[in-house]
Amino acid sequence: MPVVELAAVTKTYENKVAVHNLSLLIEPGQMFGLLGPNGAGKTSSIRMMMGITVPDSGKVSLFGKPFDRKSLNRVGYLPEERGLYRKMKVVDQLVFFGELHGISPQESRRRATDWAKRIEIADSLNMKTEELSKGMQQKIQFIASLLHDPDLIVMDEPFSGLDPVNATLLERTLIELKEQGKAIIFSTHRMDQVEKLCDTICLINKGEAVLSGKMREIKSRYERNRVIVEFEGDASFLKSAEIAEARNFSGHAEIRLLPQGNAQKLLHEASAVATIYRFEVIEPSLEEIFIQTVGGKSDA
Amino acid sequence: MRNLLLVARREYLEQIRGRAFRITTVLVPVLFLVLIGIMIFAGRSASGPKHLVIASNDAALAAEVRQQLAAGDQSKSRVDIQSPVNPQDRAMLVHRVRSKSIDGFLWIDAPAGQTPKATYESQSSGDFITDARLSAALNHAVVRRRLAATGIRVPDVDALLKNVDIDTLQVNKKGAEVKSNAMSSFWKGYAMAFLLSMTTMIYGMNVARSIIQEKTSRIFEVMLATAKPSDLLAGKLIGVGAVGLTQIAIWVAAVGAIGTSIAAPLLSGQLNLHFGWVEGILFPAYFVLGYLLYASLFAGLAASCETEQELQMYTPLAALPIWLSFALIVLVVNNPDSALSIAASLFPATAPIIMMLRVGSQMPPWWQFAASMAIMILSIWGVLWVSSRLYRVGILMYGKRATLPELVRWLRYS
Repeated sequence: MPVVELAAVTKTYENKVAVHNLSLLIEPGQMFGLLGPNGAGKTSSIRMMMGITVPDSGKVSLFGKPFDRKSLNRVGYLPEERGLYRKMKVVDQLVFFGELHGISPQESRRRATDWAKRIEIADSLNMKTEELSKGMQQKIQFIASLLHDPDLIVMDEPFSGLDPVNATLLERTLIELKEQGKAIIFSTHRMDQVEKLCDTICLINKGEAVLSGKMREIKSRYERNRVIVEFEGDASFLKSAEIAEARNFSGHAEIRLLPQGNAQKLLHEASAVATIYRFEVIEPSLEEIFIQTVGGKSDA
Repeated sequence: MRNLLLVARREYLEQIRGRAFRITTVLVPVLFLVLIGIMIFAGRSASGPKHLVIASNDAALAAEVRQQLAAGDQSKSRVDIQSPVNPQDRAMLVHRVRSKSIDGFLWIDAPAGQTPKATYESQSSGDFITDARLSAALNHAVVRRRLAATGIRVPDVDALLKNVDIDTLQVNKKGAEVKSNAMSSFWKGYAMAFLLSMTTMIYGMNVARSIIQEKTSRIFEVMLATAKPSDLLAGKLIGVGAVGLTQIAIWVAAVGAIGTSIAAPLLSGQLNLHFGWVEGILFPAYFVLGYLLYASLFAGLAASCETEQELQMYTPLAALPIWLSFALIVLVVNNPDSALSIAASLFPATAPIIMMLRVGSQMPPWWQFAASMAIMILSIWGVLWVSSRLYRVGILMYGKRATLPELVRWLRYS
């Protein structure tokens, strides 16, 4: 049973089409990357999943049933626009959010304490939100979205504004949750993060899905025509007939092969004139796939 | 419903625990007392001791005017008589006024067999209290003299001119006569109307400010993923309204506890204010209705604004009915049963304040209460309908001020 299903969903604001005919399916235990440049329609899609806005046409289903607000008790949401009550104590705030999801105040408090220890922010529980740094507030909001043990976790740009240490901490937490069978939607314009964490993606541009499916399958559809060579000696092999474009950074060369170019032939040519330390045929990055797909014509 | 109550409880507790609540709870009554004190002090100072000169060639008339002034004067003014006088004396008196050695002088020309002519010159052109006192004293003296001239004996003249006090009685609903006081009726109505307008404005604005703050802090996105916009708005209105009722209850309890010792001397005598159980029911009822009307209006306004500064631009417009109510005070207190008074007490925006003023002077028939409350409830429903739609869309709109056509579109979206 899919956790989330959008079927031909369309949403228009004033004269702007935010989402057009978008369909996607998210299964339990999946880390789903919703990708696209700023203004592509990611947040609009998420808002429809959360019932914050209603689609003009199409259907939204959660946990195998047409959208119903009761289902939201099984959803954890970290929106792109972070927001906490500034004057409230952190722990009171977390208890309040827990109660809104139907958890008793005592249980909410216990879970808030456990989570705060887990993501190393226990010292801040009795502080007022306005006394915390932006990164710390983000961690509190992260807890607020997970306190009720949701089956679907929606994270809109979860790592923006976090330092690398805390970003890694939250990344690890998300991976653990995925391993527990939670479905995670991870929306971002940072393709490198999605590449690292997600197993399934949907690439949106100007409100439309331009690419979707399993990450491996998508990548396998694209040719492995990029080569990294680390070498010492004569660099004349970089003028080979197999190469479309090559850049040499003092013994570290990044090469793009011609469509019919042969990597094995190039390896032979290179090893004949230079000492090769590394020769790697790499798959295209998500960013390259995106640029290739939309022709570099995004709004970002 | 559960979420609505949770939102209301959070709103209530946050405001009750806030510094602003503690400060206003203490400061407002203190400011009230200070204000009343200043008014009493200013009233006494306005009729304070003065140094006046009565100048006339008719020494007897001047003496009689002085006697009349002294009879009704509790401020121990000093009144000198200058008689006889000539034009140079008048110039001298003007000089004394200018040099502030006297406060003013009354110049009486009293040619034999003619009506006297009098002029009062003083440092202040707006000293209407002294003006009125002098006028009354002079007229009394002249009438006394004219009566005496007809041959009536002086003691009889005094008996004829003796002042008569009027006792005010009010006929109540049962037809019984009860002692009343026009001033106390006015002050009672005024006090209730003032408190009501102040609290509805303060708490209406609190709702608006709270919405703007939540909009600025971007909390809505999280909240909307757990609660319906209608629950959020209703919870906020109930929570903030409960804070208002709590504050009023604290003030009432404080007046009950310490008021008897402090306020009793102040409110007895001429300002003999009595609040019965009818006011005890009507006041909170009209507070709740008035608050809900204004708070719903402010909520709609706030949802379509970006900043508190922007909201403040619209506040005078929203407060217009309150100003209108106060502009009608004299009419309503003097003619509580006039068509305009009744219309104003049924018009939802002015109903709470005007009704309180009418209750102060004459208890309106019960059907008018029922009608005004029914009209208010319908109006609240209408305003809430519009505001909740503006709220639903407006709280997610950031970055730019909504134009009127946009607001109309927001109403259509929901």
